Amino acid sequence: MPESSARSVPLGAVERELLRQMRELQGPDERPVQRTRMANLVIYCTSQERAARLNAEIPDVVNVHPARVLLLVADADSPGTELEATVLVRPLRLGSHGFSFSEQVTLTAGRSAVHHLPFAVRALLIGDLPTNLWWAAPVPPPFAGPILYELAEHAQQIVYDSSGWPDPARGVAATAGWLEQIERGGGPGHWRVASDVNWQRLKYWRRMLVQSLEGAEGRGLFESAAEIRVEHGPGAVVQAWMLMSWLTGQLGWKVQTGRVEPGVEMVWRFHGPSGEPLLRIHRRDEGLEDIQRIRIACRIDQRDSALDLFVQDGQRLALRVEGVEEALRTMTTPLQSPAELVGRQLSDRERDPVFRASMSVAQIMARSLLECFNGAAG
Amino acid sequence: MPDDFQNTYSLEPDVSKSLLPQSCQLVIFGAAGDLSWRKLLPAVYNLNIDGVLPTHFAVVGFGLPAEGHLSGDPDDYIRQRAKDGISRFSRQPLDESHWADFARALFFVPGSFNDARAYAQLKAKMEAVDQQFGIPGSRVYYLAVPPTLVGTCVEHLKAAGLIADPQQVRSFTRVIVEKPIGRDLDSARDIMRVVGACFAESQTYRIDHYLGKETVQNLLVLRFANSIFEPLWNQKYIDHVQITVAEEEGLAQYDPKTGEMIATRAGYYEGVGALRDMVQNHMLQVLCLVAMEPPWSLKPDVVRDAKVGVLNCLRRMTPAEVEKHVVRAQYIEGDIQGKRVPGYRKEVRESFEVMKKPLPPESVHSTTETFVALKLFIDNWRWAGVPFYLRTGKRMPKRASEVAIQFKDVPQVLFGSPTDVPLEPVVLSLRVQPEEGLAMRIASKLPGPKVRIYPVKMEFNYSSSFGGTSPEAYERLILDVMAGDATLFMRRDGVEAAWQFVMPILDHWEQMHVRDLPEYQCGTWGPVEADRIIVPDGRRWRTL
Repeated sequence: MPESSARSVPLGAVERELLRQMRELQGPDERPVQRTRMANLVIYCTSQERAARLNAEIPDVVNVHPARVLLLVADADSPGTELEATVLVRPLRLGSHGFSFSEQVTLTAGRSAVHHLPFAVRALLIGDLPTNLWWAAPVPPPFAGPILYELAEHAQQIVYDSSGWPDPARGVAATAGWLEQIERGGGPGHWRVASDVNWQRLKYWRRMLVQSLEGAEGRGLFESAAEIRVEHGPGAVVQAWMLMSWLTGQLGWKVQTGRVEPGVEMVWRFHGPSGEPLLRIHRRDEGLEDIQRIRIACRIDQRDSALDLFVQDGQRLALRVEGVEEALRTMTTPLQSPAELVGRQLSDRERDPVFRASMSVAQIMARSLLECFNGAAG
Repeated sequence: MPDDFQNTYSLEPDVSKSLLPQSCQLVIFGAAGDLSWRKLLPAVYNLNIDGVLPTHFAVVGFGLPAEGHLSGDPDDYIRQRAKDGISRFSRQPLDESHWADFARALFFVPGSFNDARAYAQLKAKMEAVDQQFGIPGSRVYYLAVPPTLVGTCVEHLKAAGLIADPQQVRSFTRVIVEKPIGRDLDSARDIMRVVGACFAESQTYRIDHYLGKETVQNLLVLRFANSIFEPLWNQKYIDHVQITVAEEEGLAQYDPKTGEMIATRAGYYEGVGALRDMVQNHMLQVLCLVAMEPPWSLKPDVVRDAKVGVLNCLRRMTPAEVEKHVVRAQYIEGDIQGKRVPGYRKEVRESFEVMKKPLPPESVHSTTETFVALKLFIDNWRWAGVPFYLRTGKRMPKRASEVAIQFKDVPQVLFGSPTDVPLEPVVLSLRVQPEEGLAMRIASKLPGPKVRIYPVKMEFNYSSSFGGTSPEAYERLILDVMAGDATLFMRRDGVEAAWQFVMPILDHWEQMHVRDLPEYQCGTWGPVEADRIIVPDGRRWRTL
């Protein structure tokens, strides 16, 4: 069964139109119309181009976690002064026989009508369902201004993706404090969590590193680490940064200094248990928009060696210990689209203390870069 | 009455025998007015389409035309106005063949409510209609008039000999009195005394259209026809109850194209406010159905006894408790359906300009509340210690009314739920409008190896389950009056008990002489001040 044709309606007619489209799709079947809604999902973006990409991703999101989707397009290129509402219904297959419906309302606001959006959202949220705000604008949430706070008024979860942030150092520096603020800002009796989709992308890298850490611990590998070099593709610098803030935090390293070569490399010197290891996060100009390789230079069995973790065939993470004749250890990493990651995040509403601890380390790392940058500028 | 008639909407066999609408004339006082145009005439039209009106039936409108004078045939006038109202507001679309059938039984007598000659003309018209339609002199008078005119109307009816003896079965007379019944306890008693001097209590139907809504009636069925709920329906299992009536409309309505004011309720609402308009009647009546003890029968007086029992147990508030447990507020400029809308005070000023009436001095800086929230307690064994939170307001984000029963939390230790992300409590919510239905939020395990709990909502929607559209509340209630069933109407002692609960609040406000009320933006869920009566209890207002 195809989805319905998106149809523009006045704001006050949205609910009626949703039901009408569902009945139309259902046809002459006299069974009650079934709609499946596990959550409210409010998505905020700031361009038609981004909205078009989101529209392609939303079916995958609601397949994972059925939700009433409110896609908000704050189109700064449009001078419109009024909100435009478009309604769309999608069939969801239930097992081999029945089907249900999910629903999407797109609200488009020209630059003079953006302030109407939070009001319209209030009217369209469904009570008793968890509300999620997916912040799909390019500006990091800490710098989003009042619109984010107004949209998050009734949200229990704010989902964002730090991938591709234009000024990673400032974004990361501000995020740890913002997390604290937004999660406490729900008021008494109202909890709220914030989740970075980028953190989810690190799941397999972290698993691989933990296994390496545990397996190599007896051999003093990480204690002897002299340098970690991370190579990442375009747009993945924050991803690499978060992974390293997690790892260095786990290892108990303390940041000493940091410096940045814009667009090429960020380097930190740490104080570790047995020396002052370096961390280099290096940008590759091509390849996957993810972390591509991690090399940990260390000593194993009194000899200089290195732990080399890298992406193999795009579907596996591989681990090799340089200078040691061992079979390559690999871990399968199922491909997960951004939509799937968001869909899974919607049902995962528990605060992740590891994420928060890592962001605190990331903040310290960011500050050291900014101090260096400000010092150089001064 | 023949025994072979069965009524499908009856709840109890012995009541159903009396639930057949009886032949009569429905005489609408104020037939040219707003209520008649929007609600009453479309309701009767729908009853006609559904084929549930008695065979011998007609509608006679009475009152002054909306324009103040009439040129042309009065019957044509009311037919035209009815057709206009039906085409705009009817549940079922205007159908020419049905319309012709309906229109032939629709008449109008122009006249002032305090003019004895007009009642003579009304009497003559009704007698002629009796003859024409074979109606045995039975009447239902619907007083769709301001409360100040109720006394005038009933006294004239009595003086004109238009009220039958209450013992009359075939040629009965019944009167429907619209809310508000007074603006305080004394004026309510005055109105009821005047009506009581002309009509017996058994002839009097005090209407509250909320009670005609399917979901409200379903409260009785839900509670008493499902064995799983009633055992839990008490202070041991229920944490609290929230009743919300949110209106999207403000005082005035505007033409969406021109932005000009096209209608206003300022003449009624200004100086009345949300407590009188909503809480004293609709919300307390719904509260009664939620909280009453199981009646032993569905006979009208048995149900009404149970409801009055609740009202009598409402804890009366002291001035200090009014300060603590009641919040009132007024809307200011904000946003509804993507459009800027003005604040209340501005609407009042503009309304009086449109009505071409001078703005009363007390309305210059009006302190009429458009929002009220309160916490109340029912001091009986069933509800001891359970707070009931009531909230109503105009210009809220959407039109939505519901009753929400929130059950007590379970000990969270079993599932190791982190205290900063608590389990959502089980909530049973009954939506009264716009989409009538009920929903239950329960906790469910998310698929996967870990025990992760997620709230899921099971919903039942009247229109999608039963198809079609539910009858409008007025349809049901008008039909009930024709059938002589007073179950869903307020009895005199119930009205008094409701006013007795509300009066300490009104008296305290009167003494406060506030110059400004707390404010909330149009398109929001009320003022931040409303949180202070619920958040300190560890609870929150629900998002509808």
